[in-house]
Amino acid sequence: MIVTYNWLKEFVDIDCAPRELADTLTMLGLEVEGMHPLGGGMDDVVVALVEERAQHPNADKLSLCRVNNGREILSVVCGAQNFKAGDKVALAQIGATLPGDFKIKRSKIRGEESFGMLCSEKELALAEESSGIMVLPAEFPLGVPLFDALGLKDTVFEIGLTPNRADCLSVLGIAREVAAKLDRPLRQAAAIVEEKGEDIAGRASVTIDAPNLCPRYTARLVTGCTIAPSPAWLVNRLNAVGMRAINNVVDITNYVLMELGHPLHAFDYDLLAGRKIVVRRAQEGEKLTTLDGQEHALQTSDLTICDGEKIVALAGIMGGGNSEIRDCTVNILLESAWFNPTAVRKTSKRLGLHTESSHRFERGADIDLLTRALDRAASLIAELAGGTVARGTIDVYPAPATPRTIRLRTARVNQVLGIDLAPAVVEAICRRLSFAVSSVEPGVFDVTVPLYRVDLEREIDLVEEVARLHGFENIPTTMPVAEVISDLPTVSQRLEKGLRDMLVAQGFNEVINFSFSHEGALDQMLLPADDPRRRTVKLLNPLAEEHAQMRTMLLPGLLETAAKNLRYRNSDLRLFEMRRVYLPVEGEELPVEPLHLACLITGRRAPEGWNQDSQQADFFDIKGVVENILAEFKITGAGFDPEQRESYYHPGKSCAITLGTTVAGSLGEIHPDVQDRFGIEQPVYCLELDLAQIMRRHRAVAPIVPPPRFPDITRDVALLMDDALPSAEVIAAIRRTKAKELADVEIFDLYKGEHLTEGKKSLAVRLRYRSAERTLTDEEVNRLHQRIVDSLVSSLNVSLR
Amino acid sequence: MKESLDALLGTGLAELEDAQGEAELQELRVRYLGKKGEITARMKMLGGLPPEERPAAGQLINTAKAQFEARFEEVLDRARSREKARRLQSERIDVSLPGRRSALGARHPLTIITDEICAIFAGLGFQVAEGPEIETDYYNFEALNFPHDHPARDMQDTFFVDGSRLLRTHTSPVQVRTMLAQEPPVRIIAPGTVYRCDSDATHSPMFHQVEGLMVDRKITFSDLKGVLTSFINQLFGTGTGVRLRPSFFPFTEPSAEVDIACVICSGKGCRVCKQTGWLEILGAGMVDPEVFRHVHYDPEAVTGFAFGMGIERITMLKYGISDMRLLFENDVRFLRQF
Repeated sequence: MIVTYNWLKEFVDIDCAPRELADTLTMLGLEVEGMHPLGGGMDDVVVALVEERAQHPNADKLSLCRVNNGREILSVVCGAQNFKAGDKVALAQIGATLPGDFKIKRSKIRGEESFGMLCSEKELALAEESSGIMVLPAEFPLGVPLFDALGLKDTVFEIGLTPNRADCLSVLGIAREVAAKLDRPLRQAAAIVEEKGEDIAGRASVTIDAPNLCPRYTARLVTGCTIAPSPAWLVNRLNAVGMRAINNVVDITNYVLMELGHPLHAFDYDLLAGRKIVVRRAQEGEKLTTLDGQEHALQTSDLTICDGEKIVALAGIMGGGNSEIRDCTVNILLESAWFNPTAVRKTSKRLGLHTESSHRFERGADIDLLTRALDRAASLIAELAGGTVARGTIDVYPAPATPRTIRLRTARVNQVLGIDLAPAVVEAICRRLSFAVSSVEPGVFDVTVPLYRVDLEREIDLVEEVARLHGFENIPTTMPVAEVISDLPTVSQRLEKGLRDMLVAQGFNEVINFSFSHEGALDQMLLPADDPRRRTVKLLNPLAEEHAQMRTMLLPGLLETAAKNLRYRNSDLRLFEMRRVYLPVEGEELPVEPLHLACLITGRRAPEGWNQDSQQADFFDIKGVVENILAEFKITGAGFDPEQRESYYHPGKSCAITLGTTVAGSLGEIHPDVQDRFGIEQPVYCLELDLAQIMRRHRAVAPIVPPPRFPDITRDVALLMDDALPSAEVIAAIRRTKAKELADVEIFDLYKGEHLTEGKKSLAVRLRYRSAERTLTDEEVNRLHQRIVDSLVSSLNVSLR
Repeated sequence: MKESLDALLGTGLAELEDAQGEAELQELRVRYLGKKGEITARMKMLGGLPPEERPAAGQLINTAKAQFEARFEEVLDRARSREKARRLQSERIDVSLPGRRSALGARHPLTIITDEICAIFAGLGFQVAEGPEIETDYYNFEALNFPHDHPARDMQDTFFVDGSRLLRTHTSPVQVRTMLAQEPPVRIIAPGTVYRCDSDATHSPMFHQVEGLMVDRKITFSDLKGVLTSFINQLFGTGTGVRLRPSFFPFTEPSAEVDIACVICSGKGCRVCKQTGWLEILGAGMVDPEVFRHVHYDPEAVTGFAFGMGIERITMLKYGISDMRLLFENDVRFLRQF
């Protein structure tokens, strides 16, 4: 909503500066989002009086005038003919700069000096065209800057209104708020309509066939109008609030719309068949071309305004082209009606027709204002378009609305706000807002609110009004007095945070990608057509095709992120994303949203540097991340199963992560075909985990074992075996011996190549022996070690190297 | 005897002084004091002396031995220190070379700020609560007093899954879910991801909010001012100006927008605050009785306040980031700075 400072002053006395007024409005909940001055920079054009007008001695078409600017008498040469001595005119004094960067200087015209210029409206950019100079009203004070005298020096406020404040969609509405806040009277003079024409009753009729959608319809007839451009003041006002001038009659309806907030419509009376108005629902499939030239197919839920034959307007939204005001229009039927907000909103949304009119009706217009708006427009049309207003008003209003009365308890006001207002203060605030107040018992009031306050229905709404007018800044600042509640964050919240910190400590950067995805991303991952992750939650109105569905896995987004960073030459990456995925569940209304973790490693293992490890990361780097996570959550018994393969991994360098019989995720090197599809040119290692599975199995505390009291003795063994034999089987076979003194087993070297037969590998294993009771002797350890090695050789296809 | 011993000792001591390095010193020690050393040899000659001369001669030899020994230790110490000093001198490295580092990661700035906000409210006794991102119309709108076909719904451009399901447009549904699941008192903070179909330099179709809710007997609007002022002072620094001004949300009444004094210009007026001196960072208000009705709380018995803030906006203000899209581009050259 745009209003101007001067326009507001027509309704209420404001003595503060525009900046201060802006603060007042903002603190009332009418947020001033922008303000800018109008008509600045023309202070050297002033109101002056022509004392004497004489013929220029050397030019037939020029006159030589003596002009009084309030301080001195100046000699000015002028070429216009439309003025005489005694007229007040606009004098551009020496030093003034007119629009078009036209500077006024002292000059000599045909031998006579001229100390300024008498201006036309065109020269001041107040009108497109003008004939002759501006002759000003006699009451304009001498010497005052013209733009001040015309009221054109003004400040525009752009106000961001919340949708509940339909009552503030006008200058009147905002002035009403200012008046209440400043406790000043609101000037509410109704327009005086001179009804000189014949009675409207005999010339037009209104029938409402859908009274629930249109409870009131009023109309006036103005005959004998001349359609013409509007006068400058009207054009300026409309321009100031961001509207374009069209012609006097349309401009007047717009002016009244902005001033009083009620949408009006002007029909060309002579285009209304049967000289009548019928308000009815559209029939299915009926068509109307609105005055913007668009044709619309209508439904029965749309409310229309019809004449005797056809639809002439979409009620409350836009008129039809078939009855609009034309240059040759002479007789006008003015509509001022009230339409059901929901119906207007539905039609306007469906047809994509959002207008100043629909904006107000769908928020709730003031049903009490109809005739006032009608009268204001009719009197302006009579004045500016030379029309004659027919006697009487049509007002179809079968069931007049009654204002709402709401009970307000002072105690409730104080309970909600945390203040201690006296009943008299509460009552005074209500009265300032023009509410009718009657006292029920001490501190309790029945408050009747005007119909324009469609937002006030309940006691709490009035509590807010009291708070607003009292001023939020005048409510104290306290801390709540409440029971202590102390509880740790939930386990999953703590684990999530712990895991994030752990990954950060391991050099991973957290990324956040959009939750949106698209089918193509799953194709890029080579997911089979029947993969459950192809069942996604789809959006009806995505912003882009690649945002059409919710993601079911994190890796496509992470690979996309990696590809982008690699293009930026960030070639060593450790990335993770810990976010939800969205999985539809058969028979459930809402999908499940499990928290997933995806990690990605590519490039060097360690940061680049003169003495850093410059090796490239490989499969075992990403596997180490998983092992660290499992260790952090104290999960034992996880398995890495190379047989359960994901389509997007290298078939020989990937595995599933199993927890018992369930798969918690997978890891591996990204398949070269997938890499190609993402435009990645270096090996990438990834994992994706369902954290719910991890969290379900986590142990807060694993049993703690005191450090051993007796020393370890280690024995190494190098085993030769087929390359295909998994090392895990060797370890498992060693463990299976269940030797009590075997404390630990670890692989410390792997060798393939020279000196070994093709297809063979040598695995070096260190076994650590220890007893809880005593120091073991070398002989004991040797015996035990030999037994384990023998059992290995006999149970697996391995030999000693 | 004495003369020749003095001469021997004199020569020995002089040789010690001239010796180069530890090895040469040890050699001298063997030559004079070893089993076949020259001083040791004198001791062996004692047997050849008359018995009455032996004690005095023995004492002379022992003194000489002790003198040699003492000087030897002294010279050896000196030689060792010289040697150590030489070694230390030669082992000097260039300490200006960079150290050997492991990669350091970073949390996403939105995570950092969310954690910070939650930690402040945890200190005020608020529990973290969560809810689904794909919501029903009921929890996202209806239970929060957004009527069907009401212009209030235009405040939030919604992504729809179908007629009744949508991507939540705010974290406020968590309020409803929490209250339906428990009796008052309630004190929760709900961080989460939300969605609106809007995309430009200041709007992202996916963004993050933190919702807060406190319901109890005797919770007032003045308490809301107190809690938010305390929060803002902890997040933006003690003494940060705070202003509440009336606004509208369907699920709170009275409703307020909460502004802080511009952190860029300290309230003097600049481009970031559009010359107003204030920055809007929060929406808040007293829980609307209609919301209590939906969750079966008695609005006469309990009152409460709710608030919600955009994490992106706060993150951008805290770090001086001007384009929201940076937060979702995931360029590691940006992410590594946090």
